[in-house]
Amino acid sequence: MAVEARRLRRRPAAGASRAVRGTKFRPGAIVRFTFIAIYLAFLLVPLYWAAVTSIKPQDDLLVDPPVWWPADPTSVHYDTALNSFNGWKGLKNSLIIASSTTVLALLIGTSAAYSMARFRTGGKHLAFWFLSQRLMPPVAVIIPVFLLYSRYSSEWLGFSLIDTRTGLVLLYTVFALPFTIWMMYAYFRQMPPQLEEAALVDGCSRFQALWKVAWPLATPGLISAAAFAFIFSWTEFLFAQVLAKDHAVTLPVALAGIVAGFQGNQYGEASALTMVSLVPALFLGILVQRHLVRGLTLGAVQG
Amino acid sequence: MATRVETFGRRRLRAASSSFDRHIRLWLIAPAVLIILALTIFPLAFSLWVSFVEFDFSVSNEHPWVGLDNFRDNWRDPVWIHSLKVTAILATASVVVELAIGFLLALAMLRPFRGRRPLMTLFVLPLFMSPVIVGGFFDLFLRRPFGPMNWLLNQIPWMGDVSIDFTNDFPWTFISLIIADAWQWTPFMFVILLAGLSSISDELYEAAEIDGAKPRQSFFFVTLPLLMPIVLIALTFRFIDAAKLFDIIYSLTRGGPGTDTYTSSYYLYQQGFEFFHLGQGTAGSWMFLVFLTVISFWLVRRLLKPLEA
Repeated sequence: MAVEARRLRRRPAAGASRAVRGTKFRPGAIVRFTFIAIYLAFLLVPLYWAAVTSIKPQDDLLVDPPVWWPADPTSVHYDTALNSFNGWKGLKNSLIIASSTTVLALLIGTSAAYSMARFRTGGKHLAFWFLSQRLMPPVAVIIPVFLLYSRYSSEWLGFSLIDTRTGLVLLYTVFALPFTIWMMYAYFRQMPPQLEEAALVDGCSRFQALWKVAWPLATPGLISAAAFAFIFSWTEFLFAQVLAKDHAVTLPVALAGIVAGFQGNQYGEASALTMVSLVPALFLGILVQRHLVRGLTLGAVQG
Repeated sequence: MATRVETFGRRRLRAASSSFDRHIRLWLIAPAVLIILALTIFPLAFSLWVSFVEFDFSVSNEHPWVGLDNFRDNWRDPVWIHSLKVTAILATASVVVELAIGFLLALAMLRPFRGRRPLMTLFVLPLFMSPVIVGGFFDLFLRRPFGPMNWLLNQIPWMGDVSIDFTNDFPWTFISLIIADAWQWTPFMFVILLAGLSSISDELYEAAEIDGAKPRQSFFFVTLPLLMPIVLIALTFRFIDAAKLFDIIYSLTRGGPGTDTYTSSYYLYQQGFEFFHLGQGTAGSWMFLVFLTVISFWLVRRLLKPLEA
């Protein structure tokens, strides 16, 4: 199939090969589009069901046969979810935590990547040490981090990190660093250094060359790295569930709370909060689509 | 290019004004190294100590040394061994399913057609969602009696009367988990494989054609071998993440029925934060970390080696 695709793309007016093949009718195309259609249905039906559940009146939720479109849609679940189930608090915390993590990871990660790309700091070993952090299972560090945050941080640092946004931001930054560093490392390496050299000749310090020349030039890379860091912190669940029970509760934790603290049926509220949480992630996702492959494989595959 | 920068840098650095500027390479890299040391390496070392002592939150500040007891407790718990098996089975099964569907989808989407662009955007959306929310979707969709899945199956004429308990009956619990995981991560395979397929040069197909290869032969002798390295990268990354499966379990089956669908991550979470067996939890975490590291390195070595050649 792939072969055929290639050949046709190369010669748009591939009259000859089509003549050989027969006529317009190609069984391959039918199989192809049937497959795409089935996959699309698989993708959209659960999404649609959650979306429609969020606007159903309570009476339409638990009925058989299922209601595919409510006779009178309502926004009451959004109201309840946001106002009485930690919705606003979760939304606010998630926004603050995700943006702070993004800024912090970008500042720290870009600096490290720049140092590695321009001065070869640490060589190959340091680069792979950063990469190996990406393989770390979160569950391996969550118990000790919980103990350190809840028990020792106030003893050693003078303030407690448990259930604070700061605590989560620090931890998320660590887990966002490997891909930030690797994405920016790849980006700086393919960026010619001549402009920074010119800036040095003109009397800039090394730091100014980074701050005033390299950073602005790396903006496209920065944007996609930022989006990945934001999406990571926006969707993370395990750390937040353990470390942020109340004051620093994030959106996924608030959502899991609705589902778990089951009293009667709160399907509507859960779906409503789900819909709210999807918006920014989807928006950013669409924004970085072009850099997706590189981001997912930490630069191993060029998209 | 890089060497030129370095020599230039040295000459420049000798004349650098401040000591900050002279040691800028270290100043730039220090924050990243320090924060990782503080929040992963140090906690790991700390947890190694915790796993050799009796660490009970409520009782006291005394932490008597217990040697390997915590590790032994894990191995005496049949649920721990079961959870390792579940982790291996679920990770392997979902990665295989995702690879198969993702590959077919990449083949289907390779050739341009009207509406391909918006479709691409739709297809990658699940990658930007929280896994715990994806589990929630499928809980809503599959749970008997009010999830519409059974109703949908009943609409198929020759199906008869089905009533499957997707979230409580073996093997449906496993199938539900794999479906939910595949819903979220098939796009991962899809985009990477599509990038791989598009990067294969046209000339190779022309050469194969000139040599008399039929489309099927080109597929097996040109497409597949060239795609292999990228397939292996995708498999490695995906498998390492799939072995950490937690969120979907949490929101879809909660490890149930009983402890049937406990993955290792879920088991360790339960040990640590439901029962507060912190010593046993950290001991288990360490073993899990070692297993995963060994498997990761094996995968990276074995699978990524052809790339360097």
